[in-house]
Order: sequence, then structure tokens, then C-alpha cells
Amino acid sequence: MAADATHVAIAHDSDIVEARRKGRELAQRIGFAGSELTIIATAISEIARNIVVYADRGEISLSEADNGGRRGIVVVARDEGPGIPDIERAMRDGYSTGNSLGLGLPGARRLMDDFEIMSTVGQGTIVTMRKWKR
Amino acid sequence: MLDQQSLRSSQFSLDDADIERRKIIVDLAAEDISRITTLKGVIAQEGDRYTEDFFRYLRDLGEAPALFGRRDALAEAKRRKREHLTALTNGVYDQTYVDQRAALALLYSRYGLETRAFLGAFHHLLRALGGDIMKRFPDDPNGAFQRFMSVKKVAFFDIGIITDVLTSERERTISQQQEAIRELSTPVLQVRDGLLILPIIGMIDSLRAKQLTDSLLRAIRANRARMVVMDITGVAAVDSKVANHLIQTVAAARLMGSTVIITGLSADVAQALVALGVDLGKITTTADLQGGLEEAERLLGYRVVRSAEAPGQRLSA
Amino acid sequence: MAIPILKQGDVLIASLQADPTDNDLIQLRDELAERIGRLRSIGVVIDVSALDVLDSFATRTLRGIAQTTRLRGADTVIVGVQPEVAFSMVQLGLTLDGIATALDLEEGCARLRQRVDDEASRGS
Repeated sequence: MAADATHVAIAHDSDIVEARRKGRELAQRIGFAGSELTIIATAISEIARNIVVYADRGEISLSEADNGGRRGIVVVARDEGPGIPDIERAMRDGYSTGNSLGLGLPGARRLMDDFEIMSTVGQGTIVTMRKWKR
Repeated sequence: MLDQQSLRSSQFSLDDADIERRKIIVDLAAEDISRITTLKGVIAQEGDRYTEDFFRYLRDLGEAPALFGRRDALAEAKRRKREHLTALTNGVYDQTYVDQRAALALLYSRYGLETRAFLGAFHHLLRALGGDIMKRFPDDPNGAFQRFMSVKKVAFFDIGIITDVLTSERERTISQQQEAIRELSTPVLQVRDGLLILPIIGMIDSLRAKQLTDSLLRAIRANRARMVVMDITGVAAVDSKVANHLIQTVAAARLMGSTVIITGLSADVAQALVALGVDLGKITTTADLQGGLEEAERLLGYRVVRSAEAPGQRLSA
Repeated sequence: MAIPILKQGDVLIASLQADPTDNDLIQLRDELAERIGRLRSIGVVIDVSALDVLDSFATRTLRGIAQTTRLRGADTVIVGVQPEVAFSMVQLGLTLDGIATALDLEEGCARLRQRVDDEASRGS
């Protein structure tokens, strides 16, 4: 059902800009508008920065979601970084071990409709988030 | 023109399991179906008469005037009713049968036939059917009664579908209206250069809070508004959740460089918020709208002065 | 892509172009800190109207600029935050607490001058 995914390799801070620009373009094609586009771009920015800060490199995949006629966007962030030992703690506001505000993951969760995180210490982290059209 | 397409695309649909379940609910069994099919001739022959009678009954009661005011709609409803009467004794109550009932119900809903009026007319129709069935088998009143009871099971199966469609259509209408009211109920008014008033009336939930914030922020940019007076006198209940929504709206306006003053915070509400531990410390509040406007004007550098000779005074002198 | 800084009288104006990278922002912070001292500016106006995203990093950097500027004896005003951006910042939980904001450049400059005037009148 879903169209082919767009992949953006994330290694430098300029890749963050590229990922959110691609995300915004796709969201617009899917039919999101106004502040929803900004919200999606901001959430992508947060999880992409998470890769740069904690894992050095990774990838963001963007694709269209279809849930029984309801359209949306799926953003998957993958890295092979150190992983998150305590996810619950990482999802709490204000928690940060890197050089950021600690709003990244919990902030992205607040912006999107669905948010899943899987992490294995020493292997990496996968964040999957979706936003549905109203 | 009747919109055939939208009549067919009703939200209402049942799968086979739903249909079987509904048959169990009205206790419709194989022996009922074999009894009903013996009535094929009786009912189908008189389909036109029953149909006319059904709608005349409604018209005489003065129900669903919109239906009787539309010739095409009425013709369509009658056609579907006749179709119903034929299908009623065919003994097949499947997806097609259910879709036909739902389509007629949708037509009723669109032309304002109330459930209670439909029930009255349908009962009237059943009485006529019962009478005719009894007459048809004068020597076997017991058998006639059995047959009628079986027809009645299908009739109640139909009623279940019709009332479900009427109810779901009604709910859909209500939620559409609520949506429309929501959009209309958040006017953002410019009182003077750089000053907006946002009177909030009714309930605030998270969806409405978002819409409200969205339209306020757009108005701030469009009007270059440095000050906003947000009046919450008309807000039904201010609890900590609502207060947090309002705080977010104020924070968003502030990010754009606009200052919000909240007015209409009653003493009770203020005390309740303090008790709940809501921090409104960073937000300017005044008791009433007038106070808020005066404060906003002062901050904008306006000074309101009563003119010595107002036009009205000159006329009366 | 360096962010241009204009000097207009005693005010420095930085207009962010669309999609600055983290490095651009850090460069801007360092550059502003240096110029404020050298040019004896009373304040900095940062125009973000071209930005369609202000995420936690950008917000934190802006806050850092404001704090640095204050330590150097000047004020910062952020101007031109777009409605959609303000909306999503609030959803994300970001604020610019303690930093002045204004609708646009003109108003931002007026605000800086007013502050200087207020301080002057208080001093006399």
C-alpha cells in the first residue's frame, strides 16, 4: 500500500536539515498543511539530531502510511549507536546525557500521534513515529 | 435530483456475522422462513396498496413534511418501500436485503422522518398485513397467526437496521454541527491598531484549544497585534487542564512577540486554580474585560480621553 | 553558509536564512559575542522569520546567544517567529523565557531603544 520510502543518511548536522526538508515535502504531498507540516518537520529534526549526538551516524526513512483509508506519514530513525540503557528514563522530560536540552525524544512523542522506540544496548536504536491526517 | 451515489455510500454496513447475529436476536429460524415464503403472493400483490397506505398514514399525521414536499424523494421512498414488501416474503435476508433497508433509512433520515413516526407507520403497516393474513387462512387461524408471528420477526429485524441507521446519521449530523460551531465560536476581533480581542465561550478541550491557538497566532501576524486581550468570562469550567491550554496559548503568542492579557477570571476560578497549583504567575490577568482593555491600551501607549464636546451633547444643547 | 550580521546604528541585526545548520548557529553565537564588545552595541535583533522550524537545538542556541549578549552588556530581541513555528514550539515544550520577542525587525529595534531609554531615565 505504502509508496516507496525515502531514505536520508544522517551523519552531520546538515543531514538533519535535509531530513526535515524531505519530510516536509512528503507530508505536503500526502496532504498535510499549515502547522502540521511544521510539527512533522520539528519532530524529524529532534530524532535526527538524536542520531547525530548519540550515535554519530544512522538513517531516517520517510514513507506514506495508510490505515484503512486514513493517510499519514511514517518516520523511522535507525542507528547502530550505543543504544539507550533506560528507555523510560530517556523518554522523561529533561533527561539528557548528550549536548542537548533533553527534549528530543519526549518532545517528538508529544508532536506525533504514534511513537515507538526499540533499543538494544551495544546494537542501536530504532524510533518509529507516525502522524495521521485529521 | 436525488443523489443516488451518496444514498448508496451510507456509513452503515454489516458483515455476514453481524447479520446472523441479528437474526438470532429476533429469533428468526428456518421454520419462520418457510412459513413466510407461503405468503409471497399475499403481500407482493398488495405491495402498492400497502405502500400508499404507509405514506398516507405519515402524511395524515403531518410527519416528515420535507419528504412530502419533494416529489422525487417521495417517489424514491415509495419505490424502495415496494421493494421492501417484495423482499420481505422472499425469505432471503442477506447483505443485499440489509443494504436496501439501510438505503431507505438513509432517505428517511435525510428527509426528517423521526424514529417514533417511522415506528408508528410501520406498526400500522404490520396491522394491515396481519389482518390480511388472517383473512387469507379463515380455516386455519392458528397457522395464520404463526405465519404472522414469523413475518413480525423479520419486521423487527428491519426495525433494528432502520433505527440503527437513523441513530448513526443523527450522531453524524450532531458531530458535524459541533465541528462547525467550534470553528465559528472563536472570533478574533481587532479593536484598534495592534490590539486584538479573543472572547472564548463554551468548553475548551484539547482540539479546540489547538484550533483557538492556531487562529489567534494567524491573526496576530495578519494584524501585527502587539497585544491580545483574551476574555474567558464565557468559559464553562476552568480546571487545571483548561488552564494549561490557556497557558500554552499565551506562551505561543509570546513567542511571536505579542502580549496576552487574560480577563474574566472570577474570584472562584482564581482560587480554584491556586488550589490546583496552576501557576498563572507569568500571565497578566485582570478581573474584567474593560480593565484588560485599559491595561492593553496603556501598554500600547494609547490614552483614552473623553472629548469635551461629543457630537451627541452638541445636538441636545 | 555564514549568517550575515548587519550593523545599524548601535544595534546589530542578524537575519537567519532558511534551514541554518547547527554549525551556522554556533558560528553566529560566537560572532555576535565578539562584535558586541568591539562595536559597543546596545543590543542584537535576531530575525527568524525565514525559519520554518525552531527545534530544541535552535532554541537552546538562541537562548545561549541572549545570555552571552547580556553578559556583554547588551540585550537580545528575537523577532519574526512564524505562527506555525510558535505553535509547534509550544507543543514541543519550548519557550524563550527571559528573552524579549517582537513581531518584526522594526518593532524589535524600537524595543531595544525603549529599553535603553528606560534605563537612562531610571539612572538620571
